[in-house]
Amino acid sequence: MTAQIKKMFARTQSGVSWLQPWLMASWLLVLVTGPAIPVFAAGDAERGAEIYTVRCALCHGDEGDGMGPAAERLNPPPRDFTMAQYKIRTTGFEEIAPADADLVRMIHDGMPGTAMPGWGDLLSEQDIDDLVVFIKTLAGLEEEEPGKPIDYGNQVAISAESIEQGSQIFHDDDRCSECHGQGGKGDAVKKLKDDSGYRTWPRNLTKPWTFRGSNDPRDIYTRITTGIAGTQMPSFDDPASENRLSIEQRWHVANYVNSLAKTDKVVRPENTVIRAVRVEGRVPTAPDDPQWQQALPSTFLLVPQLIAEERFFTPTNDTITVRAVYNEEEIAFHLEWDDRTRSIPGDKAAEKIADPEISEDMVVIQLPMALPRGTEKPYFLHGDAAHPVNLWSWHSGTTDSAPRVSLRNARGLTDTIERDPVAVGLEGTGSYRDGTWQVVVGRSRVTADPTQDLQFIEGAFIPVAFSAWDGSNSEQGSAHTLTTWYWLLLKPPPGNQPWLYAGCTFVLILLLELWWARNARRRYRS
Amino acid sequence: MSKVTKGLEIPRLLQAALVIGGIYLAFWAVFDLLLGQPIPRSLMGMYMFFVVAGVFMVFTATEQSTRELVGPIRALVEDPSRRALRNVVFAVVPGLAAVGVFLQMQPSDEAPLELRSIHPAPPSSVKIFGKRYDLMSLENPYRHLEKDDPEQFRELVGTGGEVYIRNCQYCHGDKLDGKGPYAQGLNPVPLNFQDIGTIAQLQESFLFWRIATGGPGLPKEATPWISSMPVWEKFLSEDEIWQVILYLYDYTGHRPRSWGHE
Ligand code: HEC
Ligand code: HEC
Ligand code: HEC
Repeated sequence: MTAQIKKMFARTQSGVSWLQPWLMASWLLVLVTGPAIPVFAAGDAERGAEIYTVRCALCHGDEGDGMGPAAERLNPPPRDFTMAQYKIRTTGFEEIAPADADLVRMIHDGMPGTAMPGWGDLLSEQDIDDLVVFIKTLAGLEEEEPGKPIDYGNQVAISAESIEQGSQIFHDDDRCSECHGQGGKGDAVKKLKDDSGYRTWPRNLTKPWTFRGSNDPRDIYTRITTGIAGTQMPSFDDPASENRLSIEQRWHVANYVNSLAKTDKVVRPENTVIRAVRVEGRVPTAPDDPQWQQALPSTFLLVPQLIAEERFFTPTNDTITVRAVYNEEEIAFHLEWDDRTRSIPGDKAAEKIADPEISEDMVVIQLPMALPRGTEKPYFLHGDAAHPVNLWSWHSGTTDSAPRVSLRNARGLTDTIERDPVAVGLEGTGSYRDGTWQVVVGRSRVTADPTQDLQFIEGAFIPVAFSAWDGSNSEQGSAHTLTTWYWLLLKPPPGNQPWLYAGCTFVLILLLELWWARNARRRYRS
Repeated sequence: MSKVTKGLEIPRLLQAALVIGGIYLAFWAVFDLLLGQPIPRSLMGMYMFFVVAGVFMVFTATEQSTRELVGPIRALVEDPSRRALRNVVFAVVPGLAAVGVFLQMQPSDEAPLELRSIHPAPPSSVKIFGKRYDLMSLENPYRHLEKDDPEQFRELVGTGGEVYIRNCQYCHGDKLDGKGPYAQGLNPVPLNFQDIGTIAQLQESFLFWRIATGGPGLPKEATPWISSMPVWEKFLSEDEIWQVILYLYDYTGHRPRSWGHE
């Protein structure tokens, strides 16, 4: 009973459902009938089964085995409910059943970074309770008592000291960094598979919006304590493990992981313009040049290429962060994206981690060949016959060939012409560290043949788009991630024109006024 | 004239100013505060131009009201007893204009507006799958089963659902609410079929055209070059397209618009 009331309370506090009449009704019911309603009567398995068939079966399968028709196009795949494995649970790892509230939470809020959406806006709380009861029957858990919640001890508040201790625990013997990488970006050193044999990737801990749970220290503490069922993320409360951590240690690590959130890689959807800054000296050519810090970063979502043949459904790269700098003659882009693997064809270690067939990592900047007049742009996927695009590519290299840039003109996906990058002075360098690529690509702003290459004019809004390939994720050819068109602006210094025009306006209006006043006075006199 | 200079009618001018200010504030309150989606500056400028023009037209509808509106201004310029005030106004007005021009001349870094028509008029006929379809008379060949053979109809909705989950949910979302896992990375955003402003307003033939020919099939006023909607003719059969259309209506509970009784 109390659990149910608490659950409702948590939900109403978050302000989602005060308006839902059923909630009011159930509150009334609680008030009227008092503690007579037993907790386990909250859901009705049969109703749950009906809702399941309409809303969930297409992914989780008619039998609940996760084998819906889209299964092979989703990574992670829809959960197989017959396995009784739940990633997000607050009951200990050795317990058989999760708490009902855990399942309610996942169904209500969804699982970020996966195809599993939150259903709180479409289904009522009663619907969700019914679903929970039904889903448990799929795993034979209907008779099971809810498991015992884990021990939270005394929560250690976030502090510099706690974070420092957490950092040590994280890196000691590579306890967490073995999988999550030195910087927490999940840069792989091992190939991981889940219990059903699907490829899994350790979470990028610097991107908390991809956590299935959340990056609240209490949530992180829970994940470390229970592990993530069905995956290789272990429990750090397992008495059998030599890596077991005390309650206090787990709080320190949780605080450390919470501190890893990288805020400059948050996507702000309203930010669609890359503002290139003008510098007086040379534009930086090295990825780690401190001059890049002058330029505002813009981060864009990378979407898998779902549009043209061959389509691609299971990306690993998710965002790209762009900066741009220019001077009188040149322009350069700084591209930064988290990629768990440095893909070097020919390199034994890299090939071991990669999904075959390994190929180079790659990034492409797409620009219209000519600045569009009016609103008409080239088709965002490689342009079209009437509106061709320039493609600047940077390739990460193999054991036999050095990293290089290449240049193409494209009029659609199949109509591309390879060109000589040296002829237009296109240059690029890249560096890979701790799960992040940083690549600089640039050339002179004007080129010898303006009919073949975009000329970078100050003050113009220039369409620009990006694509990326993770060569260890079988991304080759049309299998890659991409962005839609965004804008590049070489923002010119304002100069003295505004002053000139403002002055003229002032004088002109003043003259008009004087003329009016003179006429008026004359009229008044007469 | 003397009536005007009594100054009783000054509120008339003030009224006009208040109405314009009020409308501006309302725009701001609704879009910035309530919806959290500020109107771009250039668009706002356009709206306000029409608002000012409209208010001016209302306030100058009759000769009397025109006089009442401009009266106080004329009085200010012509009446010698108000010279001090006039001088101040005469200095402030060009000053403000100059500041306005100065700000306007600052290079803007706001993205250019891209207005597009979301539901453009369809062509009367299109060539899809190497065949010509007359969109004016085209109907979903399976719609009649809803009455004639409900069992087979449910089956077809089911296959439509499979087509949808395998192909469409990444963008349009598995709740058909336009919030698929990748929706945020696309511009324009994938449409929300739960919304009453999309498929509930459309005929099944329109959907057939849109699904088969995708973004590139749009006319220019709908900016085909930025739409990420794939050309499904390349991936799905004619039957599959009609079935996924059944699913869209079935899941959302909307009814397609039909010819005839409208
Ligand atoms: C578009 C496909 C899709 C649909 C529709 C869908 N799910 Fe899921 N669901 C997933 C995926 C994918 C996962 C696995 C996520 C992961 O493993 O990280 C998942 C995981 C889950 C889990 C496991 C939570 C945990 O803690 O591990 C539950 C419970 C769940 N879904 C319930 C539902 C219910 C109930 C519905 C219907 C109302 C539903 N799902 C509809 C894709 C879907
Ligand atoms: C053997 C490899 C491995 C080790 C060691 C490991 N993890 Fe993980 N971790 C994973 C994998 C794999 C996932 C992703 C699971 C999935 O697919 O949902 C993960 C996920 C996570 C998550 C994401 C939770 C969420 O809500 O999505 C957190 C936080 C986390 N790990 C923290 C840690 C910490 C802290 C440690 C060290 C104390 C650690 N991990 C050690 C493999 C590992
Ligand atoms: C890559 C993302 C993507 C995928 C996948 C996708 N769509 Fe779309 N769809 C869009 C976008 C973006 C729009 C809005 C722009 C436009 O009208 O072209 C749209 C528009 C539509 C419209 C027009 C609705 C209206 O009100 O005019 C229909 C119908 C539609 N999609 C159906 C489908 C179907 C059916 C599928 C699967 C077979 C599908 N879409 C797959 C992105 C997608």
